[in-house]
Amino acid sequence: MYQYTEVDQKLVDERVEQFRDQTRRFLAGELPEDDFLALRLMNGLYVQRHAPMLRVAGPYGMYNSAQLRKLAHIARTYDKGYAHFTTRTNLQFNWPKLEEVPDILAELASVQMHAIQTSGNCIRNTTTDQFAGVIADEIEDPRPYCEIIRQWSSLHPEFAYLPRKFKIAISAGPTDRAATQVHDIGLHIVKNDAGEVGFEVLVGGGLGRTPVIGKQIRPFLAKEDLLSYLEAIIRVYNLNGRRDNKYKARIKILVQAMGIEKFRELVDAEWEQIRETDLKLPQAEIERVQAFFKPFDYDSTAAEDTTLATKLAEDEAFRVWYERNTVEHKVAGYRITYVSLKPYLQPAGDVTDEQLELIADLADKYSFGEIRATHNQNLVLADVKKADLYAVWQVLAEANLARPNIGTLTDMTVCPGGDFCALANAKTLGIADQINRKFEDMDYVHDLGDLKFNMSGCINACSHHHVGHIGVLGVDKKGEDWYQITLGGDDGSEAALGKVIGKAVAADKVADTLEKVIEVYVNNRIEGERFIDTFRRIGMAPFKEYVYAPAN
Amino acid sequence: MPLLINREVVNDSWTLINEETLEQAGDIIVPLALYLENQDRLDNREGQLAVQVNGDDDLNPVLENLDRFPLIAVDFPAFRDGRGFSIARLLVRAGYKGEIRATGDIGRDRIAYLERCGFTAIQVPEELCKPELLEAFTEVSNYYQSAEDGVRPVYHQQ
Repeated sequence: MYQYTEVDQKLVDERVEQFRDQTRRFLAGELPEDDFLALRLMNGLYVQRHAPMLRVAGPYGMYNSAQLRKLAHIARTYDKGYAHFTTRTNLQFNWPKLEEVPDILAELASVQMHAIQTSGNCIRNTTTDQFAGVIADEIEDPRPYCEIIRQWSSLHPEFAYLPRKFKIAISAGPTDRAATQVHDIGLHIVKNDAGEVGFEVLVGGGLGRTPVIGKQIRPFLAKEDLLSYLEAIIRVYNLNGRRDNKYKARIKILVQAMGIEKFRELVDAEWEQIRETDLKLPQAEIERVQAFFKPFDYDSTAAEDTTLATKLAEDEAFRVWYERNTVEHKVAGYRITYVSLKPYLQPAGDVTDEQLELIADLADKYSFGEIRATHNQNLVLADVKKADLYAVWQVLAEANLARPNIGTLTDMTVCPGGDFCALANAKTLGIADQINRKFEDMDYVHDLGDLKFNMSGCINACSHHHVGHIGVLGVDKKGEDWYQITLGGDDGSEAALGKVIGKAVAADKVADTLEKVIEVYVNNRIEGERFIDTFRRIGMAPFKEYVYAPAN
Repeated sequence: MPLLINREVVNDSWTLINEETLEQAGDIIVPLALYLENQDRLDNREGQLAVQVNGDDDLNPVLENLDRFPLIAVDFPAFRDGRGFSIARLLVRAGYKGEIRATGDIGRDRIAYLERCGFTAIQVPEELCKPELLEAFTEVSNYYQSAEDGVRPVYHQQ
């Protein structure tokens, strides 16, 4: 993975001291609250219901073992011994003290980490496929481009005060695992008819209050034009995006209001002006960054392993985990291995300091010292030898990190909700527990197969409920928590926004309602059909009819 | 209000005027809309004339007449309104050689970015105008990307 150069390290170190001074001036009353708000947000610091919340950047989901150990140390020393992985593959601390945040940032800088632009109205962490570089069907590893975008966008002097936050995602193959169609900018690495590799560019996707699928603005963009084209889009947005209403300030609203043709015209006119400038990305720079992501020195004898087959035959629990939580690697003899952060009755995405250290140890021992975070709030050890899987599984299982539920109903994406978040309208964690209890039977959950479930505690949609096959949105009705259910969403290659099934249900009825929804699926599915496939085939009506049928 | 040029506090000969002070003598900065309404009168007065623009203005009348103005002020109506950064870059790109002045809700922690985007003068509130203000320019000593301050992108830095 990428290693800081002197330039990177110095910039991050200086940013720590700059923030230390900003915090000092704020605490001394020299910096107005509103000014500090914008500045601290640009450094990942929110003020939440109970305490500040610090969001640390996990650039395109990549972490190494030293970083995980440092995060464990921070969780233990400055927080309550745990942390939370987010849907932007970042990591949040929920209980830091404001005056200690500069020290935490200094600790992070010592392992090449930062919290720059993890919140605020600026360009956020670029996300990508958690299988980048290890999956057979990708056209090219997207991570070098993520890193190039990270550098270009970090402390960008013109784009620090955009109308609203700005998120970019990159995918690199036929299967979109980065939800690129619901990002402000989605980049697809594609090959054109001439065999050149470049980017298809989508713009104006997003979730939140007004969910929109991104529109194609350019079918093919040469690699060398990546930064100039991004700069053109964001300049047009910065100058024209709405600033009078924060709920209408995202680029999706601008693109909708203007129409994609007009928007493209403005971008192209701007782009013409800057294409042949310093923004042109030299091939040598692409190669320099690519060198950090070269394939590992894989063991050529790994494919000769016979022990895995034996273990799979002997140990049913291991086999179930293997089938659900590991994925084919492009190199024979290796598997991509999930670390499930969705244990029974625990908040999705949470990890303790000890778990972080244990995962770091596993990564060092079995997966080249690297760990990836996914946008569904799990972790991945991307390069585990088949012969080592049993040992890895045993350690993970012991630490409650091997629930065999990846991609199933209980692999829920859930925001912290009303228990922690000041923005939330409703609680989410208790509802997640309720669903976990109802669907405790893993055989049943496995039989249901791939089922993407997302639940957000408010309309800001941090957990992307619009693109869950089943989505739940918490709403406030006269001081009570109610839950609106949507069906048919998808954030993959066939992205779609879920539709509301009917009136919201009370807090104690969410799991029962889901059960009914799932019964309709089970009764209607044909062999091999996923929930989403059945829904697409039979439509909303049968679900609505059954769920809202009067009781007897 | 104190004015920073080349990271030094300098005397300011310009006065920002409004509808009521339109007849003011000397060097004046006129908000663009007011200028366009009174263009004939203002073009023929004694003293230098500058315009002030903000993100709501149509920039074209300014871009088409850059030679006419020795100074263009770009206003930041609110701390979080970042349109002025792009406007300054557009002015530089159009070849404007006069003073590009940042006015409005500036704050210490934006002045380095203002300079990077091509502002040559920054009006700062009196209470911020202490020697340590200048540290804001140097807290971060290098950047990844090019803007209008001569910094080359990281891939062209050697």
